[in-house]
Amino acid sequence: MAAVLGRVAELPALLALSRSALVRHWDAPALDRALEWARYFQHVHDRFRARPQLREALGRRLRRAQPCSPPLGFSALGRCPELLGLALLENRALPPAACRRLLRRLLLPPPPGAGAGPEPRGLALLARRKAAARLLALPRRPGGTEPRVRAEAQLLLGRLREEEAQEGAGAAGRPRWLCGVLERLPPPRAFAVVAAALALLGQGSGAEGAGDGDRDGSGQDGNRASAAGDGCIAGLLLSWLLGNRERFSAFCLCLPGSLLASLAGHYSQLSRSYLDLLTGWGSHLHYDPLQGRWVKSCLEKAELSWEELRERFSCLCQGSALLREQTQAALKLLKTRDGDFKVRGLSVWTDLLMEVEE
Amino acid sequence: MAQDTTVPKLNFEYWLDKAVEWGQATTLESQKDVCLHLPQLQEFLHQLYETLKDVQGSVAAIQQFPLIGQLLGRLCWNPFVIGYDESQKALMWCLCCLYSSEPQNPVEVKANSWICSLLCHLLSSSEWESNEAETNLFISTLGYTSADYYGHLVKNMIFSLVAELRENPFNGLNIQRSVSASRVNAVSICCVPLITLPDLTPLLETLLLYHGGSPKEILCPEFLEAVNEAFLKKKISLPDSAVCSLWLRHSPSLEKATLHLLDQLVSIQLNSLEEVACVIKDSLLPQAASHPAIFRVVNEIFKNALLETDGASEVMTIIQVFTQLFLEARQNQNEQHKFPLKAYFPCHHQPLVRALLRRPSELPTTSWSQHLKNISDMLKALVEDTNVSSLTDLFETWYLVTCFGEWLDIAAEQLLKATVQPDALLWLLAFYYCPQNENQQRTQAMITETTDTSKEVYSLLLRTAYRFKHHGEGNQRTVKLLNELLQKFTLKV
Repeated sequence: MAAVLGRVAELPALLALSRSALVRHWDAPALDRALEWARYFQHVHDRFRARPQLREALGRRLRRAQPCSPPLGFSALGRCPELLGLALLENRALPPAACRRLLRRLLLPPPPGAGAGPEPRGLALLARRKAAARLLALPRRPGGTEPRVRAEAQLLLGRLREEEAQEGAGAAGRPRWLCGVLERLPPPRAFAVVAAALALLGQGSGAEGAGDGDRDGSGQDGNRASAAGDGCIAGLLLSWLLGNRERFSAFCLCLPGSLLASLAGHYSQLSRSYLDLLTGWGSHLHYDPLQGRWVKSCLEKAELSWEELRERFSCLCQGSALLREQTQAALKLLKTRDGDFKVRGLSVWTDLLMEVEE
Repeated sequence: MAQDTTVPKLNFEYWLDKAVEWGQATTLESQKDVCLHLPQLQEFLHQLYETLKDVQGSVAAIQQFPLIGQLLGRLCWNPFVIGYDESQKALMWCLCCLYSSEPQNPVEVKANSWICSLLCHLLSSSEWESNEAETNLFISTLGYTSADYYGHLVKNMIFSLVAELRENPFNGLNIQRSVSASRVNAVSICCVPLITLPDLTPLLETLLLYHGGSPKEILCPEFLEAVNEAFLKKKISLPDSAVCSLWLRHSPSLEKATLHLLDQLVSIQLNSLEEVACVIKDSLLPQAASHPAIFRVVNEIFKNALLETDGASEVMTIIQVFTQLFLEARQNQNEQHKFPLKAYFPCHHQPLVRALLRRPSELPTTSWSQHLKNISDMLKALVEDTNVSSLTDLFETWYLVTCFGEWLDIAAEQLLKATVQPDALLWLLAFYYCPQNENQQRTQAMITETTDTSKEVYSLLLRTAYRFKHHGEGNQRTVKLLNELLQKFTLKV
C-alpha cells in the first residue's frame, strides 16, 4: 500500500509534465510509459473506489503532493487516461515520433492481442457528443440557465462535493483554490457559473454529481451527509460572492432580476445583502422634474437605473411568499423613513412601492 | 480485404464535391442532403482508411489522393458527419494515418500540426473556436476533461429541449406557442445523425409524441425514417407510445416495419409458433394495431402478401397468429380507449365480425358447435346473396374468416371427433379451403379433395397444439395423440 501511495503521489507531477514543454525530450517509448502509468492509475482507482478508507488515504496523499492550484481528488485517478491523453494531444511541444504513437494508441482500434490504452471508444463518443452540442445549439432562452453554464456549474459542484465528502467541514485551504478557479473565468461567466451552481444546490439536485461515481454514500446516512455537505458548499460559494462588495455588486448588475430573485428565495444571506444593495442604488436616484422621472445621480457609476430597479423589485415580489413579505416590508420601512409620502416624485421608495403593489 | 484502389479514387471526387457543397451544413437543404448520404459516406471513409492504413506519412498519401487534406478538413467541420454513427471514428483513423513520425520537410511538419489541430477541434479545445479555450482552462483546472464536460453539456441541452417541447400544451383556445413549427422541424433534422446516441432517447421520445396542433406533419420525414430504421434494426429502444406515434404519423415507416416483420418471419423455420409469436410481439405491431388506422394498413399488407404467395400456408399462419396477438392486446386495453369493432372492419357484416372475434376460451366448449353453426350460416347467407357478392367481396369475406383461424381449427377438430352434425362444419371448411367453387358443389368438393393438403393439416395441428398449451385445453390423451401426429408430420414435411 505504501508503494501505491508513493506512486499515486506522482500523478500531479506527471500531469504537469504532460502539459509542459519538457515533453519535447520524449520519444515513443517514453510516451508508452506515460500512458502505462495512466492505465495503472485508472486501475488503482477501480480497485479502491469501493473502499472508503483507502480511498481517503489516496485522496489525502494526492492533495499533499500538490502545494498550489486546486488539488486533484481520488476521482481524477479514474480519469487518468483521458486526462493525460488529451493533455498530450494539446501539447504542441510533443515530438512527431511520440505524437504518432500517441495518436495510434488513443484513436486507432488496438490490434488484437495487444494491451489497450485509453478506450478509443470513449474518445469517439466524445467527438460525437461535441458534434451533438453544435447540432443542438439553442438560441438563448430568457430565464432558463444556459446549458453550457449549467455544465460548468455541475463540474464545479462535482469537484466541491468530492472535496467535501473527503475532507469534511472546515478545510481552510478550500476557499483559496475556489477563488483561483473562479478567477480564471471572465467575471460575467464566473458569476453565471456560481449562480447556476447555487441554483442547482437550491433545487436539491443531489444526484447530479459530475459523474465521477465516487458518491457511493448509499442509504440514509449518505443522503443526510450529502445534504449537509451541499449546505456547506452553498455557504462557500456565498461567502465568495458576498465577501467582496464590488464583486457582489458586479454580480447583481450582470445577472437578470428573475435569476437573482430565485436565488434570494433560497438563500437568506443573499436576499439580505441583495436588498441592501438595491437600497443603496435606490437612494442614489433623484427625481428630475423636467423629465418627470427618476434618474441616476452619476451616470458613470455602475448602478441600476430606475426602470431596472423597478424590474428587480418586481421580480423579488413574484418570488416566494416569504421573500415577497420581506421585500415589501423593507420598502415600507424605507418609505416611512423617507417621510411616508403618498404622492409620486418625492420619495423613490414610495414610487417603487406603488409600482410593485399594482 | 482485396482493395481496388481505383474505386475509392473515383468516389473521392464525388465526395469532395459533396463536402464543398455542404460546407458546415447550415442550410436546411444542405442538412437534408447530408442526412441522405450519411451511410454511404461512412462506408467510403472506412474504405479510405483501409487504403491509407499501409501508407506511411502524409506525402505518400497526398501522392495517391492529392485532395485528401481538403476532404478530411471539410468533413471535420460538418457536425452532421461527425455526429453520425461511426463516421467520426473512421475520420480520425484516416487523420492518424496521415501523420508522419519523421517529417522530412516543412510541408510534412505543417501537415502534422494541422492534423493535431483538427483532432483538438474534434476532441477538446479548438483553436478556431474562440470561446472554447476559456472553458477548457476552467475544466482542466478542476481536474476534468472535455469528455466530462460534453457529457454534461449534451444531457443539459437535451433536458432543455425536452422541457421546451413539453411545456407546449396545445390549448384549443390559445394559439400562442413558445415553440414554432419551423424550430421543431429544424431540431428534428439535426437529430438525424444522432439517433443512435444514447443521450438522445428522451428527445426522440418527446419529438415523436409532439403535436403542435398543425394539421401538417412538422417533423422531417428524414428524421421519421431514420428513427424507424434504427428501431427496426434494434439499435435503439423506444417506449411503445412513441413507436405508435411514429407509425401513425409516417405511413412509409409503418409499411416498412410490416414488411420487415414478414421478412424476418419467412426466414425462420416454422417449427415453433412460440417463436413466431415472440417475433411478432417484439415488433410492437400487434399492440400498435389497436389504432384502427395502423390495423388497416397492416391488414392490407398482409392481404397482399397472401395474394402474392398464392395463399401460402406460412403466410396464413403468420396472419392468424398476428390476429390473435392483436386481439389479446386489444383486450388488455382500457375500456375508454377502445375503438369500436367497426373501426377495424368497416366493410364487413358486423354480426359476423363479432362472432369471429369471440375467443373460443370465452365460450363453454359445449356451445362451440352452435357458435360455429352460426358463423357458418351467416357466411352462407353472405356468400350466396348474389345481389351483394362480387368476387372482391367474396375474397374479403374469405380473408376475414382466414384471419380468425382459431374457429376453423376448432371446426376441423369437431369434425374429426365426429360427435356433431357435420354439415355446417363441412360447409365452413370447404369455404375456407376453396372458396371459389359453386355453392352447391362445396360439400362434394370437400370430401373428394385430393390435392396435397398435408401442409395445411400440419399447420392446423401446430395451431391446435399451441392453443392447447396456452389455454390449457385438451386432456392428456388428446395431447399425446397430437404430439405423435406432429412428429410424424415433421419427418414427412
